Amino acid sequence: MTRTGELVMSAAAAGLAAFGVTLVNLAGGGTIDAQVGITFLVVLLALGSVHVAVRQWCPGASPHLLPLVGLLAAIGFIEIYRLDRYRAGLQRWWLLIAAATAVGFLFWVRRRGLATLRRYRYIFLLASSVLLMLPLLPSTGPLPLHGLEMNGSRLWVTLDVGFTVLHFQPGELAKLVFIAFLASYLAERQTGLAAKKLSGLVEPRLLLPLVLVWLGSVIVLVVQRDLGASLLLFAAFVAVLYAATGRAAYLGVGGLLFGGGAVMSWVMFDHVQRRVEAWLRPFQVYDDAGFQISQGLFALGTGSLSGSGPGLGRPYLIPNATTDFMFAAVGEEFGLAGSVAVLAAFALLAAVGFGIALRARERYRKLLAGGLAFVIGLQAMLIIGGVLRVLPLTGITLPFMSYGGSSLLGNMLGVAVLLRISHEERT
Amino acid sequence: MNGPLRRLGYVVVASFAVLVLAVSYVQVLAADRFRDDPRNERVAIARTGKERGVIVAADGVVLAESVAAAEERQVFDRLYPGGPPFAHLVGYTSRLFGDTGLESSYADLLRSRRDLTISDLLTALTGGDLRPHRLELTLSSDLQQVVYQALGGQQGAVVALEPRTGAVLALVSSPSFDPAALTGANAAASWEALLADPAAPLSNRATNELYAPASTFKLVVAAAGLDGSIASPDTEYPDEAELDLPGSSVVIRNFSGEPCEDGQTVSLQVAMVQSCNTVFAALAMQLGADVLGTAAEAAGFNRQYELGVPVATSVFPLDELRNDQAALGQSGIGERSVRATTIQMALVAAAIANQGVAMAPFVVRSVVDADGVVVESTEARPLDRAMSPATALLIGQMMERVVTEGTGRRGAIPGVRVAGKTGTTESESRAPDVWFVAFAPVEDPVIALAVFVEEGGEAGESATGGTVAAPIAAEIIAHYLDN
Repeated sequence: MTRTGELVMSAAAAGLAAFGVTLVNLAGGGTIDAQVGITFLVVLLALGSVHVAVRQWCPGASPHLLPLVGLLAAIGFIEIYRLDRYRAGLQRWWLLIAAATAVGFLFWVRRRGLATLRRYRYIFLLASSVLLMLPLLPSTGPLPLHGLEMNGSRLWVTLDVGFTVLHFQPGELAKLVFIAFLASYLAERQTGLAAKKLSGLVEPRLLLPLVLVWLGSVIVLVVQRDLGASLLLFAAFVAVLYAATGRAAYLGVGGLLFGGGAVMSWVMFDHVQRRVEAWLRPFQVYDDAGFQISQGLFALGTGSLSGSGPGLGRPYLIPNATTDFMFAAVGEEFGLAGSVAVLAAFALLAAVGFGIALRARERYRKLLAGGLAFVIGLQAMLIIGGVLRVLPLTGITLPFMSYGGSSLLGNMLGVAVLLRISHEERT
Repeated sequence: MNGPLRRLGYVVVASFAVLVLAVSYVQVLAADRFRDDPRNERVAIARTGKERGVIVAADGVVLAESVAAAEERQVFDRLYPGGPPFAHLVGYTSRLFGDTGLESSYADLLRSRRDLTISDLLTALTGGDLRPHRLELTLSSDLQQVVYQALGGQQGAVVALEPRTGAVLALVSSPSFDPAALTGANAAASWEALLADPAAPLSNRATNELYAPASTFKLVVAAAGLDGSIASPDTEYPDEAELDLPGSSVVIRNFSGEPCEDGQTVSLQVAMVQSCNTVFAALAMQLGADVLGTAAEAAGFNRQYELGVPVATSVFPLDELRNDQAALGQSGIGERSVRATTIQMALVAAAIANQGVAMAPFVVRSVVDADGVVVESTEARPLDRAMSPATALLIGQMMERVVTEGTGRRGAIPGVRVAGKTGTTESESRAPDVWFVAFAPVEDPVIALAVFVEEGGEAGESATGGTVAAPIAAEIIAHYLDN
């Protein structure tokens, strides 16, 4: 696909979003109103501005990323619009802000490239730790910044900017910053970590970072009660470590640590037990923990092959349909056709990301691209697997599709990094 | 480093392949199970939660409407402000128990066309209107209320027609129920209670249940006799208290157990006024099954006709009666195996009132779209000629005498010429079902009706058409003519 192809496909995504809004309007008894035009223009403006930035500052970048992101964002937006008009209005702003951030990033690294980032790696480590811990701020106090607990997880911070209160999930950015640190750290320490002692195991000293990160994710799990973010961080770390060293032993040890942590948290935490119960027997605990998963399955089953059509299903019956259960809402209204399209788009996105990593000529960029591709793919997989009852449910957002500014902004920034990396291999 | 990266990439892409299998299982193989799970409200909401058109009576009173329960979610509650008097005709649309009445038969026109089928979509894109249609009925909501009150909860039915057009003015089955109870939260419990109720409030006694028409069927017998010039109002018949039917042990007796007049002879006219069973049994046998059957069918028996809601077919069993004189004699007084719906007997009265032409009954005057443009309207059309105009006139005169000096005196209304005919079934095992069919005013009939009360109503064993059904008819007619 050419650069122009990228623009055409992005415009097609904007058209898709606008057409979806039209259908939702008609289904709801409305007419073709200003929402249709606004949606088209906003999506076009968001994707178009990134497209122009790419043309300007990294013309060699892969043209495949933006259309995929556009497709996912468009389908997600249709469902958000269908479920919650107010949130849809906000999501359009977030889309613009996320695009502006991506453009800003591409501008920042336009001359010296991603090498710029390597300089800040310890700042990144610190930043990711701080970001992760931000929600632990007291919920009240004189500061404008507060922690917030929602649905049993402490993932949020609120920022009082005077006229309104912004909600933000710093974890969504933390994972990105953490991967940026990891890539540069491991790019330089590959030899030690990959070296074998005679026994065939790495030196215990070198296992230290592994254990530290594991402890960090356990803290996230315990303190913030956030299964998803904890698992995502740890898995991303193990994957990047494996990519950097090629040592399958890390996967094994990581798996053991993960298994141990999982069993431990199951024993210790009531809310983890409830999640497992809801995963194994959602219909038996329908009135309790199983309600959301059951409703998701009802939605998907009712949607069946062709779906009800946008605006004609009942996805509002599913709790958190605009966020965690976005996939079930799409499956209900777009049918199997829609849900497979979403899965295919995520698989392609991850594949393009890994392709960029494989073609990268330098270790740092390889690890960064691979880590980002992995984490975006894994996040989609975890939440979709949870909705489909393949995995226990972890409360994380579906990248690009769920309502929420932090998620959109973080993932958009990740894509901007991938765009830049793919450009640097062409020059 | 490319090896591990490639393997990671493969694992991620392969995981999505697994998810494709999983989602195919959920949305295809197991889809029916999830969709039909009783805890899944989706199918039920899709059927009953959508906006449907308004149903209004002729006087503009709303009988059924959809009200947004949750605006944003496009879920509507169906309300029935008319309540029980209208329940059988308007029907209901219930998640659990399906649709009935007009809600069922006009479902296609009442539905919101927002299912976004291809044609709906084209309509919308070309600026067409997707709002649901509205049904305008011929029913007078005021009269309907009066009828319901007049029946007073007794088991029975009343159907009132406009003789000239066939338009239904009132159609009530009693006892009734509140359709809201079948759509609300306790629907299942209400349904069980209605099913268990010995008074069978769910059965539609106006259009769906068949009863022996008793002496009201004598109108049809008389019409057959007069039309075929086999009899005139003045034709004299033996005035007997009892009549042995040939080839059987059945004996027909007059209601009083005595002759009608002097025990010598009695005219057809007087026999009608006094409702003499022996005379009409004899006349029926004289006419024969075919002549009587032709007259009955011309008046609507053995025919399917549509009202806007389904109507059970009234029965005159020709095949049986051709070979059984005794049965034919019993049929002549509306017993044995002759069966009629309440609306059928109203139709007989209406035909007599309309110079012998039975107009096809209808209840939906028009279907109107959201902008007020008529999409469909019902034209008055004759179902059949039941009898000649001359016969209709003569029978009308006899019926007037029934009210002024015969069995139907309690159907009289001061200052109004009412024509009527009583009917009372005979049974040893249960209280009589009683009838009164009538029209008024005789000189220019504007209303024809049939009143049916099952098992004598509150009067029980002692009930007759004249004592129980006729006063109800008088009340209804008086109210209608006053307004």
